[in-house]
This record gives sequence, C-alpha cells and structure tokens, in this order.
Amino acid sequence: MNRRKFLKASGILLSGTACAPGLPILTGCSSTRADRERVLSKYKWGMVINLEKCRLDCDACMVACRKENNVALHGDKRWDIHWIRKVNVRQKDSPDAAWKPVPLLCNHCEEPPCAQVCPVQATYKRDDGIVIVDHHRCIGCRYCVIACPYNARYFNYKENPDWPNKEYPKRSHGVAESCNFCAHLLDQGKKPACVEACDKINANALCHGDLNDPDSEISRLISSNPVKRLREDLGTEPKVYYIGL
Amino acid sequence: MEVKFARIEGRSTPFYLAMILLAVLGLAGTFSTYLMHEHGIYLSGLTNRVPWGLQIAMAIFYIGLSAGSLVVSGLYGIFGKMEYKPFARIAAYLAMLFLIAGLLSILTDQGRIDRVFVEPFTYFNVQSMFSINPSLYSGHILICVIYLWALFKEKGRLTKIVSLTVCLWAIGTHTGTGAIFAFVPRELYNSPLLPPSFVAAALSSGAALMIIVIVALSRATRRPLDNELIIWLGRRLLVVFLLCALYVMLIENAHRVYLVESREAGLFFLFGGFHSVLFWGGLIILGSIVPAILLFIRRTGTSIPWIVFASSLVVFGVLCERFLIVVPGLIHPPDLFPGMEITGTVLEEGIAQYSISFLELLQALGVAGIIGFAFLLGLKVLPLAPTEARSSV
Repeated sequence: MNRRKFLKASGILLSGTACAPGLPILTGCSSTRADRERVLSKYKWGMVINLEKCRLDCDACMVACRKENNVALHGDKRWDIHWIRKVNVRQKDSPDAAWKPVPLLCNHCEEPPCAQVCPVQATYKRDDGIVIVDHHRCIGCRYCVIACPYNARYFNYKENPDWPNKEYPKRSHGVAESCNFCAHLLDQGKKPACVEACDKINANALCHGDLNDPDSEISRLISSNPVKRLREDLGTEPKVYYIGL
Repeated sequence: MEVKFARIEGRSTPFYLAMILLAVLGLAGTFSTYLMHEHGIYLSGLTNRVPWGLQIAMAIFYIGLSAGSLVVSGLYGIFGKMEYKPFARIAAYLAMLFLIAGLLSILTDQGRIDRVFVEPFTYFNVQSMFSINPSLYSGHILICVIYLWALFKEKGRLTKIVSLTVCLWAIGTHTGTGAIFAFVPRELYNSPLLPPSFVAAALSSGAALMIIVIVALSRATRRPLDNELIIWLGRRLLVVFLLCALYVMLIENAHRVYLVESREAGLFFLFGGFHSVLFWGGLIILGSIVPAILLFIRRTGTSIPWIVFASSLVVFGVLCERFLIVVPGLIHPPDLFPGMEITGTVLEEGIAQYSISFLELLQALGVAGIIGFAFLLGLKVLPLAPTEARSSV
C-alpha cells in the first residue's frame, strides 16, 4: 500500500467513524418505533387515577413510595424529592367549589421530552413504556428537569440521609430521578408501591396495568369512563389517565 | 499591506497585580466548585423549581461574546475590509477563550463533573441540544486555533478560508445555544425567534466587546490606533446589530402577549417582578436605547470614550438579556391545570424564588478569573496585539 492509498483509506475510515452517531436516524426510518416496541415487549404500562376515590388528607401513596424507593426528604421544599405528590385543585373564581386532591407523578410520556434532551441517554424509555433514569450514567445537567412540562422530575441537590429499603439503591447527590412505576417490582410481577398502599386502605383510587391488553382493568376503566391526561395539547402522550378531573 | 504584531512587555506592577488578582479569583471559583461537587448543588441558589441559574446564564453570555471573532473575521474574510486585519488575532484568541469560559461554566454546573468526560462521548444523543452544542463549541475552539495559526504564519489563502468557516460555524454555535432553550416545551422558553435573537445579541455584545478590548489595549500599551476604525465599528456595525436584536426581541414579546394562551406568561415576563426591572432598566433602556442614542448623535458617536461607554452598556444589556433567557422561564410555573387554582402542596407552586448564593457567585467569578488570566498571559507570550492600527495602511 503506498502513501496515497493509505491516506485515502484512513480518510474514509475517519469520516465513517465521525458519521456513525448519525446512523440511528437512518435506521430509525425503516420501521416505526411503535412497531418495534410491540415486538420487544408485550406490555405497555400505564396508570388510571380515579379522583372520585382519592381522599383529601391521605398521603398513603406518597409515604409508601418514599419508603420503597428511598426518595429523599430533607424537610425543605426547595430540595425535597417527590416521585409522587398530591395537590388540591378547584375551579378558579368559584370559592364554593370543593377542593379535589390530585396525585401527580411522572406521566411516562410516549414522547418524553426529558429523554429527548438527555445528553447521555441516561433517561430513556423502556420497551414497556416506562421512562427511567440510569443514575449511574446521569451527569447531573438538569436539562430533563427543565424539559419536563409536568414538574415531575427531580434532582438530588443533597445527599439523601435515609435509606429505609436496603433492597433498592439510593441515589447519590448530583443526579436526576423520577417515578419509574416501581419497575423493579413490576419486573417481579408485583404492583407499584403507591398502588399497593392505596389498595391496602381500600381507597382503590390508583389502577396500574397493561394498556396493550384490551381486557385489563386499566383498559376497561379508560374505555368506560371519561378520562383526561395532563396537558394533552403538548403532544407528549402521557400514560397516566385521570377520572373526574 | 504590512501589519506588525508584538507581544506586550507585561512587566509593570499593575500587570502583575491584575494577574495575581485573576489567579486568586480562579482558585476561589475552583474551591467553590469543589465544595459543591463534594456536598451537593444545594450550596448554590438552585432549587427544584429553578434548576438552572447564574452559571448557565454566564455560559451563554460568554458564548455570545465569542461572536466578536465572527464580526472581525466577517469584515476581513468576507467583506475584504483589510483595515480590520490588525484585530483578527486578538479576536480569534478571545473567541477561543470565551468558548472555553462557556464550556467551563457549563462544566462547573454539572452534578457529576467526574462523568462529563466519558458519558457524553459514549452515549451521544443526536436529539439533545446539550449533546450537539458542546460539539459545536469544541469545533469552534478548534477552528479558532487553526485560524490563529494561519494568522500567525501569515498564510493568506488559508486565513481567508478559515475566516469564512469561522463565520458559518459561529452562526451554528449561537443558533444552537439559543435552541437549548427555544426547543423546550416551556412557555417562556419555547420560541422559534429565540435562536435568531440569540445570534443578534451575540453579534452586538461581541462587537461591543471588540471595541472595548481594542481601545483598552491600544491605551494600555500606548500603541497608535486610528479613531476612524472604532467609529466605523460603533456607528455602522454595533448600532445595526443592536437594533436588530431589539427588533427580534420586541416581536417575540409582542407575539407572546398577543396570543391568549401565552399572555399571562408574557405579562409575567414584562411586569412580573425583579426580572422585569432587569428587562426594562437593564436591557431596554441602559443596554439598548441609551447606547443607540449615544452612537447615533454625531458628537458622542464620534468620540472614542463615549463609544467605549456605549459599548460597555451594550455588554451589560446583553448580560441582563442572558439572565432573562434562563431564569424567568423557570420561576414562571408550567400551567398543569388550566383554569384551576392549586393549594395544599409539598412542592413550591406558583412563582418560584431564585437568589444567587455566594458560592455560586464565586464560581462565576472563578471562570472570569481563569479566562482573564489566560488572556493576559496570551498577550505576554504570543504576538497578538498590533503595534499600530490605521485605516489607511
């Protein structure tokens, strides 16, 4: 191989390597993402929250979530982390209307803006639709917190002092996190901690299940009730549905 | 045309004092960053609701300032204005430093700085503006280095090609930086006008800074400088950039207030608190209208001290603008329940608060110290500054 040939070959190799990150764009065009996901996972996890059953001063779901997932509570609104939180809402300008409790959690969007903006793909959507953070990869840029239109993502500003569930890791300070539908429990065939806690007190306001299965309870609830999702206008396609909002 | 360049002496007491001061600032910023990396970013003023603050505002401010090289290389490489060649070296060197400052500001803002040098390369996300931009910035730094090398070696053809490349690349850099915010579904961020508005503000702050640096350098080193060059930069160039930036910003805000869906957010931006004072007082009046008038009036517009003063105001105005891009969009809450009111919550709802902490300020000053130090060092060891600059050489 003479020098000219060698230079030519190394030039082609180099430019090929440089273009490699762009390849997924090309391959992504051949089949739709939805098709591919259906093949890879038979589940599409979602949640229905029945606000008519949710109790005003109850925090069972929040407590259970915190305990199961070691979610940090520092006692300061600025840095506390809530994978699930509750707010009370009522129509504006109607002081007589009753306050309605609304649990808020990650909506596990079909088109998650948080995953789209993550520079290291630490936040990604699993094939079963769960949006999850790899906290070993997260660099802590907080772009996902900015991009989430639901204020559902949190950043570990401080080291978490508590570690109640030793079976599950806690996160170091400096990484982002959010609800992952208790993916570790789902993978064992169990329900998410919040749903379990809600059922335990017989409120049954939370229903978690497979949206792909037309006979599942969640699919039945969605087809037989008027349901709403938060900020549907944004096109993020949330998978958390509300009855009675 | 023969332009001579020379290192500056750099043996005076004020020079050494400035070097020491900048080095101390740099060390203080490094220490502050170490503290945050060890104990957590809660030591800054950042919170759940305001996860980006001063460091990100400074990062985009620095990156905007690097447009000075775009201005000079554009005048010289594209429009063939050879009289601006004396400033090409200093512009390219400064652009490189400002891009490094931007990257440093972003770097020191990360929660896990230890991972920044591995993960973004192994798990590059083509859809993330935060992946695309650092590539644009690093590429920009590299092109600036090549540009400098071509200028040092007096390679005419290569200089022309590279100065054109710098221009095109810089437009990409500044558009990309605006897109970090513009492409996010938040009411005060999401706007297709933000990237062009970012480019316009970058050009005006870059040109203003070039004016300040050129004049300061010629005064400090007692090297002759033709006033006509500065007057042309100020009255012909800076004022046009300034008015362009102002125009795009006016349209952006008018659009926001006109549409019912974004009116509340738009009014919050214009009249909703301390940031509105920065907007009207800092950006519109002090940063745009006053300098535009100063440059427009013949008497002040042809006097070097007044032009430098107007340029400083422009830089200050753009600093306010960068803060206004980042913070108001975060303290304004996303409307999760349109038409409803919210209470009984564990998170700060409604308008959030953000105040800069001392350590955060130290971080920002640290970055300024590091690049200031590098700038002075560069003047001392590299032949960056022209020995004289005249329009008729």
